[in-house]
Amino acid sequence: MLSCLHRRVCRASTCARQLSTRASEVYTNPSKARYEAVSASPRDITPDQRRVLDAALRVDQAGELAANWIYRGQMAVLGGDPKIGPLIQEMWDQERHHLVVMDKLRIQHRVRPTILSDVAKATGFGLGVATALLGKEAAMACTEAVETVIGEHYDDQLKELDSLSSSHPSMTLLSDVIREFRDDELGHLHVAVDHHSQRAPAHALLSTVVGYGCKVAIELCRKF
Amino acid sequence: MATTSSKLLQLAIPLVKSHGFTREALSQSVLYLPKPHTEPLPDTAISALFGKGDDARRTLLNAWLEDARRRMREEAGSSEPRPPCIRHVLRSRLTMNEPVLDHLPEAFALLATSSSVLPVDPSPIMMHAAYVADDACWIADPSAKELSWYTRRASLSTVYLTAELHQLTSPKTAESFLDYLLDNRDTVEEVIQEVALYEKVGKP
Repeated sequence: MLSCLHRRVCRASTCARQLSTRASEVYTNPSKARYEAVSASPRDITPDQRRVLDAALRVDQAGELAANWIYRGQMAVLGGDPKIGPLIQEMWDQERHHLVVMDKLRIQHRVRPTILSDVAKATGFGLGVATALLGKEAAMACTEAVETVIGEHYDDQLKELDSLSSSHPSMTLLSDVIREFRDDELGHLHVAVDHHSQRAPAHALLSTVVGYGCKVAIELCRKF
Repeated sequence: MATTSSKLLQLAIPLVKSHGFTREALSQSVLYLPKPHTEPLPDTAISALFGKGDDARRTLLNAWLEDARRRMREEAGSSEPRPPCIRHVLRSRLTMNEPVLDHLPEAFALLATSSSVLPVDPSPIMMHAAYVADDACWIADPSAKELSWYTRRASLSTVYLTAELHQLTSPKTAESFLDYLLDNRDTVEEVIQEVALYEKVGKP
């Protein structure tokens, strides 16, 4: 779990980012579609580095797809709740934006999608519905567990991308986008904790199972 | 050493038209260097640079196939701002076969006999079609996602390979056959079965 100081730092950086331009917005701004950072892929990386980049983007895109379907599942059950419904909707809207950007990144770098896309969607939806049926706190516990794993995953990925040592502008932009998304996911984690995720029934077991499932999914999507 | 062999491969590619996918084409490549050699490369040098026996020929063949895909991408890039459709991209790729059509049957045989375990292994030929289909999809329809990304490539690689095999026996009707296959992509499997049957019937 993050320390209080880290939580305050993340909240501050998230607020600052909301005030300034988000790195990912270049992917949703049609006037910037021809920028080299948005339209080209580095050619100065080795085949092994290309495989690392390939796997990273495939996992990220699959993860955002699954996150969308988790929130879709949660909304199907809790969408009518006057307090939790709008909260889940807001997080889902942010994940939608993440998915749009990840789809464009995948095309930009010519990365094949995971063949497990349909599995990711079905599993995500099932997880969202199942945890929402257990109650609001369980839904938040699911969000807490998923976003913890995703936040750590993006953190590890930033270190991996730093090792690619390419001077291409798309790599700097990719790191900025992943950093932005990492902070968004950690923001969702804080929202979940603030809305009593830790009061969920069998919170420790639920978090362990969901967290472990996410790690397995990450490894599978890396390869397949 | 790798840079020398890749330079010589690039010089040998235009010689495929006259010499085929042969060690002779590789040998003659040094005569086209900016500072040309006075004599072709000896056989021992070809073996050292490109592999022994048919391995050298396969190296040349793979370089030619990769060069054809590069030209396919470049031609598509020069047709900006509107990217070409799949039909035009695959037609363009089939056109690149025309100068070396006489040498292609032997080239496919070389690919099919590349395995050290199996006497005949069709997977390198299928990989060739898969790479062409992959490049064509990235050029003409990069937005495909999830399962359709895979099914589109699988169907196009089958279409392309069928059209290419047809081109070996009937080059003048290759384009129209490609159009027919693309228009009837759902029945591709049936067409492949018909082609196989025709070949069996056609053989003396």
